[in-house]
Amino acid sequence: MIKINSITKRYPTITALDNISLNVNKQEFFGLLGPNGAGKTTLMNLLVGYLNPDQGDIHIAGEKVTQDGLHTRKNIGLVPQSLALYDDLSAQDNLDIFGSFYHIEKNLLKERIKEKLESVQLYERRKDKVKTFSGGMKRRLNLVASMLHDPPILLCDEPTVGIDPQSRNAIFDYLLMLNEQGKTIVYTTHYMEEAERLCKRIAIIDFGKIIAEGTIDELIEKLPYDETILITKNQVTKGKIDLLKSFGSVVDEDDHFQLKPNAGFQLSQFFSSLEKNTISYKFVELHKPTLESYFLHLTGRRLRD
Amino acid sequence: MKTILQLIRKDYKLFWSDRRAVTMTFIIPIALIIIWGAVFGNLNKGGTATKLHIAFLNNSTSPIGKKIERVLDSSKTFVLIKTYKDENDKRIPFDTASIQNFVRKGSVSAALVIPADALSDTAFGLKLKFYYDPKNDLEMQMIEGMLQKTIMSEIPDIFMQGMKNKAVKFLGLDSGKAFNNEIAKTVGKYFKIDPKWITNPPVDSLLSMAGGSDSAKNSFFQNILQLDKVQLVGQDIANPWATRSVGGWAMMFLLFTLTATSSALFEEKKSGVVLRLLASPISRVQILWSKYLYNMSLGFIQLLILFSAGALLYQIDIFSNFINLVLIIIAAATACTAFGMLLSSISRTAGQANGYGMFLILAMSSIGGAWFPTSFMPDFIQTISKFTIVYWSMDGILQVLWRGAGIFDILPHIGILIGIAVLITSISIWQFKKGHVF
Repeated sequence: MIKINSITKRYPTITALDNISLNVNKQEFFGLLGPNGAGKTTLMNLLVGYLNPDQGDIHIAGEKVTQDGLHTRKNIGLVPQSLALYDDLSAQDNLDIFGSFYHIEKNLLKERIKEKLESVQLYERRKDKVKTFSGGMKRRLNLVASMLHDPPILLCDEPTVGIDPQSRNAIFDYLLMLNEQGKTIVYTTHYMEEAERLCKRIAIIDFGKIIAEGTIDELIEKLPYDETILITKNQVTKGKIDLLKSFGSVVDEDDHFQLKPNAGFQLSQFFSSLEKNTISYKFVELHKPTLESYFLHLTGRRLRD
Repeated sequence: MKTILQLIRKDYKLFWSDRRAVTMTFIIPIALIIIWGAVFGNLNKGGTATKLHIAFLNNSTSPIGKKIERVLDSSKTFVLIKTYKDENDKRIPFDTASIQNFVRKGSVSAALVIPADALSDTAFGLKLKFYYDPKNDLEMQMIEGMLQKTIMSEIPDIFMQGMKNKAVKFLGLDSGKAFNNEIAKTVGKYFKIDPKWITNPPVDSLLSMAGGSDSAKNSFFQNILQLDKVQLVGQDIANPWATRSVGGWAMMFLLFTLTATSSALFEEKKSGVVLRLLASPISRVQILWSKYLYNMSLGFIQLLILFSAGALLYQIDIFSNFINLVLIIIAAATACTAFGMLLSSISRTAGQANGYGMFLILAMSSIGGAWFPTSFMPDFIQTISKFTIVYWSMDGILQVLWRGAGIFDILPHIGILIGIAVLITSISIWQFKKGHVF
């Protein structure tokens, strides 16, 4: 559905995207995970034709995406990171304006506006000015404003920034429902939990490069260990740092050490060694590796650093 | 085209939903026109400036002294203050010391005193004392000029009195009187004036002159100098002052409005709306065209409303040459829109655009003649003014409203304004392509 071929995009002082290639399949929920400034938004802007790449090309539904090619945009709905709404207008007027640019028949547009507002529980507030809405309500409106032309592809650029967990969950449920209905969704985020919850497949982007791509299970399986071990930081454990290092690499975090075990690590041997060194089990937690662990493994940094 | 119309519709919806924008575009300009009208004079009647207040003391008992007082009292230009309030709030007539003190304290800017010997000094026709505080040079020049004009135009025989006094001073009393009689006879013969009018104008005649009888007032000078004043342009204009001024004000407001609406692009970019628009089937060219047409139409509406307000408030005749007024307004709105778009294209933020706008609008308005006529300005400024949108718009509006100019008379104005619009729009497009806004 979306083919990205060797895309490079440079700005005067930085290469935002460096020879990126990706494929997103039809009806897939695809995640683009990476820290702030990794190049996610630039890639989204290229996908909608807002920017032209310096090298490479993008095809959506078989058509090449360019700045001047308006036709491909009918297949796409962009949910921008910022709240791209007119605060002084009502929710209904906002949708009426944004829908009008797709030249949808008047009655059909009216019907869709009603349907979309109802689907995000904003119909009762349709005549209220957007500036009176909460952050979560604005985010929901921002989302449906991109869907009035019923596009097969939805590009969501961090659509839950700055909202409460309840609104976030509502947006997640809505997006999952759309995906089930057959929409292809590309979702950018720097929240590992969001990617894990929503996306069937993800690409991890850092400094403008795709550093990993696959399903979550595929990526985690690439880790050389099956679990990460967190050891609470205290006077006892601080003195045994060399012992911990003998089992793997140790990352010193705020209130604990994170042990990423070496190949051939034996859990029984590890606990036995702790016992001998009078380190209580209560200071030790075992965790299944996550995307965060994988990102840490690949870059040596946390996603939110 | 349908997309452009949808974008224009969107901009008008946003405009009408923003009460502040509507107020700034229509209500405030009309309010300011009313305030300025009140400040600069009684526009409804086409009147002149407000009366000037001066302190006045007449110590002379001569008929001429009394006449001057009467003339100034009945003048439309001056209000004479002849008393002051003491500590007990009691009104006290001025004397020579108190009237000077009155000026020193800043109660008035000037005082006129007719001294007791106003006419007895043979060296002069009339001697007056003028006390002043030059805190406002322009005001002082105005008072002096108006005083001289009022006295000399209303009491022409002061000239004769002066000449007679000079003759008596240099030739002695008898020879002087004989000289004056001979001169009077000769002048009377050639200009068909009774010589007695020259040597001894009767006090009754003088007083009747003070009463404003035109035949008496002009009888002497009309036979020597005949000045036929014929107004060739604007005779039928109900309110000349407003007709000349409203165009300039309207142009200035138009520039402010269009600078503000053009810089709205920055707000749309900041909020992400530009990205949303460009993610839909809308091109950059369509957005720019829609902004251009929206601003131009809004500018046209604003000018039309301001002129209609002028017609309503100050009887400016906009309907007798309406088509040509509309044409010049469209040309002016086109050029001003181009100016607003240029500011947006060369700026990086709305604040920057408004800052540049403020400077350029005030400079163009002052140089272009929106505040006062360009003929008051030095030659080189008059040359520079011809490079401004304000000059050509104002002059075109004036041609239409004041001279009743036809389409061929204003074609050069329209041509130059459209030319300016094309030139600066080309620069804007080049700048927009550099990508500061998009």
